[in-house]
Amino acid sequence: MPAKGMLLSSSPHSFTPVSTPRIMLSVLIALVPASAYGVYLYGFSALALILVTMASAAAAEFVFRKLIKASTTVSDFSALVTGLLLALTLPPSTPLWMGALGAVFAIVVAKEFFGGLGANPFNPALIGRAFLLMSFPAAMTTWTLPQGLIVGPDAISSLSLAQGAVDTVTAVTPLGLVKSGKTLADVGTYLGTHSDGELLKQLFLGYHSGSLGESSILLITLGGLFLLGIGVIQWIIPVAVLASTFLFSWVLGMNPVFSLFTGGIAFGAFFMATDYATRPLTPKGQILFGIGIGLITAVIRKFGGFPEGVTYAILIMNIATPFLNKMRVKKYGFVPPVKPAKPSKEAAR
Amino acid sequence: MAVKTFKGGAHPPERKERSSGLAILRLREVKLVVVPVNQHFGAPLQPLVKVGDNVKRGQKIADAEGRMTVPVHAPIAGVVKKIEPRTQSNNSEGPCIVIEALPPPAEGQPALAPEELVDFMPPLDPFACSKEEALARVRAAGIVGMGGAGFPAHVKLAPSKPIAVVIANGAECEPFLTIDERSLIERADDVVEGVAITMKIVNAPEGVIAVEENKVHAVPLLEKAIAASPRTRAGMKIRVQLLKTKYPQGGEKMLITAITGKEVPSGGLPMDVGCVVQNIGTLLAMVDAFKEGKPLIERGLTISGGACTKPANVVAPIGTPVADIIAAGLAQVDEEKLGMVIYGGPMMGVAVPNYQIPVQKNTSGVLLLDTVEAKHYDEETCIRCGRCMRACSCRLSPALLAVAVEAGDYKEAEKIGLLDCIECGTCSFVCPSHRHLVQRFRVGKQILRALKQKEAQNAR
Ligand code: SF4
Ligand code: SF4
Repeated sequence: MPAKGMLLSSSPHSFTPVSTPRIMLSVLIALVPASAYGVYLYGFSALALILVTMASAAAAEFVFRKLIKASTTVSDFSALVTGLLLALTLPPSTPLWMGALGAVFAIVVAKEFFGGLGANPFNPALIGRAFLLMSFPAAMTTWTLPQGLIVGPDAISSLSLAQGAVDTVTAVTPLGLVKSGKTLADVGTYLGTHSDGELLKQLFLGYHSGSLGESSILLITLGGLFLLGIGVIQWIIPVAVLASTFLFSWVLGMNPVFSLFTGGIAFGAFFMATDYATRPLTPKGQILFGIGIGLITAVIRKFGGFPEGVTYAILIMNIATPFLNKMRVKKYGFVPPVKPAKPSKEAAR
Repeated sequence: MAVKTFKGGAHPPERKERSSGLAILRLREVKLVVVPVNQHFGAPLQPLVKVGDNVKRGQKIADAEGRMTVPVHAPIAGVVKKIEPRTQSNNSEGPCIVIEALPPPAEGQPALAPEELVDFMPPLDPFACSKEEALARVRAAGIVGMGGAGFPAHVKLAPSKPIAVVIANGAECEPFLTIDERSLIERADDVVEGVAITMKIVNAPEGVIAVEENKVHAVPLLEKAIAASPRTRAGMKIRVQLLKTKYPQGGEKMLITAITGKEVPSGGLPMDVGCVVQNIGTLLAMVDAFKEGKPLIERGLTISGGACTKPANVVAPIGTPVADIIAAGLAQVDEEKLGMVIYGGPMMGVAVPNYQIPVQKNTSGVLLLDTVEAKHYDEETCIRCGRCMRACSCRLSPALLAVAVEAGDYKEAEKIGLLDCIECGTCSFVCPSHRHLVQRFRVGKQILRALKQKEAQNAR
């Protein structure tokens, strides 16, 4: 008879090979194309910003958990994901210390204060971004031109862009141009394209000013499709976000394709709105969640003070998540409860 | 043939190749059996024998009054040595009757006549007798559902609603297990006959033998058996249905949904959607009970697992310590590598401290896992990935259900469907954080049932 102790755990005794670190690692991989393109557009400083932000996030998590004497969780890579997501939403010229500060805020305040991985109600990367946007509005809305993209003085004067007139490095994002009352044709002039089709193509490929990793719709979509393909994310939320952004932009009189190809909506749809902890778990809840994000984004872009609204749209819908989780699918074999008949006097006795 | 299935589920590694090609071996010499008195789902039995009694093979040794009872029979001829609590395959202690085989006759003594050794019932033609007689025979033969909790077969076969289809559950979706597969291949005629007998008893117009795609090679054999069966020639309708290889395809509810498209209503039974589902082993036991008058005193099981250097499909008397099957050379184990012993499959089976524990009426397999396979993970926090929600074939939102159970909110848990959980363990299998989901639900279900009982008592 076996002398040694046999393992006596409760079934099941078989386990999936998919682990949390593996999931987080696949998100990092999915973000490589968009990150690499950001580095290609903005050079070494962009790479430095990415690395510093990621390292700060991981360090913040490590130190905080050490301080509260909790188990170390850095090896699950989730802090690195938060750091990278945050870096990719920042303007490329963000000072390194600011990126680091945002990462620490995201991890400590938005994640660990609420109990760490899985327990946070708000998307930590977006909280980090919102925190920086409120604290340093100037730095967070200063954009740089991608390397090699020359905006001619003609365009600048003809569009009477005050701040860009003397400084060809400081730039305006396409959404920013539209917000200041410019037309799509003006954006085309600014980017030096000759037709609407050419403009949309350039926007899709991402060769324009914007956040570090948010501009190339193509590469973001590729990363998103990769995550969909390996089952790390599901299609409901991205599709709902993109469809509703398209629809509500159109309803509000904006060019719907332009709306999808600019700002952080694609990035948000695939990488932010799908964040496990802060999105609803139920399919019906996810549909409404996505629709809400699209609606709020369109409304902020149209009427808000900022040109872009994806960050706030997702954070606002994060609040709704616990309620949306109540919209469960009907369980197998669901039988609608019979309404109790009014108790007759007979029964009452 | 269109391949059917259900929504959700998962794909645990199958590991069936180790034993699927091995013909069923029969354990002949058994020196001792340890027969648990209670091997069915229902009211407890009383032993009918005392220590020192001689028993014949097939003699009834425990029984009780009441609908939810099923007698137990002596699997071998011998002498009752002890009646005492022993560890059973569910890893809890229960009364067992220990029978030692009669020694071979001494030199010069004549061997005992078969009548003195064997006590079977007379054969009975299920197609000629009344329904009551048939049900009485099923009970008298000690037949229970041999794939799961051991539900009394005579109760299942007396539904209070009309039955449209009898389903033979040949899905065998638990990894490692191949005994049903071997039975389908080696006893195809009897499987068909068992379906026909069941159809006759419950008066069903259709019979379906359901097998997963990984057993597609059994289909021609089954179809041949169906074509050759005197029952189908007499007009009974029996067919084979292929199902996707997916866990828990063999769960009664999932099987019914895959085949009929209907869902068993919450809190209801298969008969509520006109179905009776029978395990393959149960069908064979029924055939034996009618044809030979033989009660359920032996069963087939798979012995496998990474520490099992010689896996096997065997038929052994109920009550045989699995260690004796191995000692007889039918299977082999590498003691050095052994890390875990499971009675049943890896998804729903019970881990036990040793393989001395006897084979029971519902033991479909014994797994001897090696130290690499015998994993235990500490729970990590739920990352809310939703994998469990998509995998749960009962659509129960396990992540949310676990929150409710942990918080002690049994009202909410019941609303989500705690009592509908079939305890298949798919949710725990897919969880990247190794949450003990089904483990919580098992305990939670008992607590909720107790709460409801109390409530009902208070209301009275
Ligand atoms: S599979 Fe595990 S980690 Fe994922 S939601 Fe379910 S319980 Fe949470
Ligand atoms: S909740 Fe129950 S029915 Fe659903 S997967 Fe888990 S164990 Fe199976």
